[in-house]
Amino acid sequence: MLIENMSMALHAIKVNKMRSFLTMLGIIIGIGSVIAIVSVGDSIRALYAGLYADVGINRGIVMVSWNVEDFRSTDYFTLDELERTKEVFQDKIQYMDSDAYADADAVNGRNKVKFSFQGIDYNYPDVQKIDLIYGRNLNEADVKGSRRNVVLEKSGAKALFGTADCAGRTFLMTINKNTEEYTVVGVYQKQQTPLEAMMMGTSQTEAGFIPYTILTGKGSAFQDLNFFVWDGVNIQDFLPEITRYVAKMKNRPASEIMTQTVVEQMGSVDTVLGGMSVAVGGIAAISLLVGGIGIMNIMLVSVTERTREIGIRKALGARTRDIMIQFLTESALIAAVGGIIGILLGGGIVVLGGSLIGMETVVKPSVVVLAVGFSAVVGLFFGIYPASKAAGKDPIEALRYE
Amino acid sequence: MWKKLKKTPSYLTENVREDLIRLVDLVKIYDTGSIKVMGLQRINLTIRRGEFVAIMGQSGSGKSTLMNILGCLDRPTMGHYYLDGIDTAALESNELSAVRNKKIGFVFQSFNLISRTSALKNVELPMTYAHKSKREREKRAMELLKRVGLGSRYEHMPNELSGGQRQRVAIARALANEPPLILADEPTGNLDTASSVEIMELFSQLHRDGATVVVVTHEEDIAAFTERIIRFRDGRIVSDKKNQPRNLTAQEAAKMQREGITC
Repeated sequence: MLIENMSMALHAIKVNKMRSFLTMLGIIIGIGSVIAIVSVGDSIRALYAGLYADVGINRGIVMVSWNVEDFRSTDYFTLDELERTKEVFQDKIQYMDSDAYADADAVNGRNKVKFSFQGIDYNYPDVQKIDLIYGRNLNEADVKGSRRNVVLEKSGAKALFGTADCAGRTFLMTINKNTEEYTVVGVYQKQQTPLEAMMMGTSQTEAGFIPYTILTGKGSAFQDLNFFVWDGVNIQDFLPEITRYVAKMKNRPASEIMTQTVVEQMGSVDTVLGGMSVAVGGIAAISLLVGGIGIMNIMLVSVTERTREIGIRKALGARTRDIMIQFLTESALIAAVGGIIGILLGGGIVVLGGSLIGMETVVKPSVVVLAVGFSAVVGLFFGIYPASKAAGKDPIEALRYE
Repeated sequence: MWKKLKKTPSYLTENVREDLIRLVDLVKIYDTGSIKVMGLQRINLTIRRGEFVAIMGQSGSGKSTLMNILGCLDRPTMGHYYLDGIDTAALESNELSAVRNKKIGFVFQSFNLISRTSALKNVELPMTYAHKSKREREKRAMELLKRVGLGSRYEHMPNELSGGQRQRVAIARALANEPPLILADEPTGNLDTASSVEIMELFSQLHRDGATVVVVTHEEDIAAFTERIIRFRDGRIVSDKKNQPRNLTAQEAAKMQREGITC
């Protein structure tokens, strides 16, 4: 009987192709725009997740807050303190460095290129992926011995040496007023989609890695500890622990210790996107309401037009319920087909637009299923009144209807 | 639902095995608000299984009212209508639907086929509401269409068929669930003479095969095909006579053979 009803409903839709399509239009536009906007939101979220994964989702920093009124020189960290902290939390922390950067000009003959070097420990590749294409990463001996070895990003290497294949070549650089010769031990590449580049900003500065021991010597002080927790450690749960420890170390109340993680930053993106979803939900509700009223309207017309058919069906033995289900199936099917077309349209626009600007797009299956289901529910709901009107007709009157 | 229908007291059913239709003191009053119109006044009537009956009368005589009640489309105001042993006056609307589906085959003046739906699908319709399987429905619908001489036109839409052919589809549809009663309301009213003869001969054949056929008409020519003529006037039966049914002329019989009506 369900199949019967479906085929009857399909038949009715096919008989009035244009009218059915126009009726569906409200649902098509409603569902289409919802799918488009939700997918854009999901895509942006995925994009941010990608960007933050670059920074490191296991990454956090801890420091004495800038806002304290009586900032003391002891509020800086020393290498000894870094080692101690790493030791204490070795089962939680996989990696820790001094969060040091050096902006310097690298000089090779007549070529002069601005670099921003990140000071890292030798096990940095364990916590962040480095896509090495030539040579090697920095090793333990480089870091422990403060050797003047560096790893360059491909485009910087090209700018400096004319080729990316420059492992073993040397250049001159001035860091902390000391001009020294540095050796390139490896070259890596960092791929960014055009959109990521747009969002991160294209800087004129090239990137590279340098042993952090060169930037942070014995006896020097630095502002924050930069760390990565082991996979499986919840960084948000770990923050109070390290905060307490640092507070004790620096002899300050825990409230004056500041921490930052990528997860927190991501939370703020989610807040923005969450606000957007509420707005989208509103648009969806209004457009589906309008679409639903359109369906109700056309179903009422259809019921009147088919009064005689209803009379015939009743005379031949259709019960009230049979007629009701017949018309409900029809309105639900119109809405569901409209929903499917809307999804194809909205999803298609997003995927097409995404491929045009080189952005990876996400159309979640769960959203698709929800959209079809919801539009069918709209069809059912707005079909109830016309269907009950049809089912309630008196067969004698209906048979007499011209 | 059918269990309930079978609960009719035995004193009403025991003597009526042969009576397909029994009307007892049947009254129908139309209440139009200000005035009450007497549709039928204390009708007592019995039609046995296998009879071929014409119900005649001018418009306003009550024959349409009777037709609606016999067809379980309407309920009497007072009195009883036993159809195949079931007291239909006691049934609610969904039960009446079931009675119409299983016990009555309708043939209407204006054919009442569902438009833009093939002949086959139209014939299948009563079986759909009887929850028969698709295979069973299609098989039987094809058989019935062959029987009325339309085996090759099963895919045609009603508007692609002539009036006579449409009415033959309607007769095939009426036979779908093998109902004990065929109820025809002015079945030839929209047909030319030749087609009318064809349709009436089809009813005669059904009757010869054992069906109970009740034809409501105002045309003497049509009533002449039946074996019993009941005349109505002002909501009362004024006469109820046996009739010697008219036979087909050789010419008419030959024509029917050409059209492949074999039933």
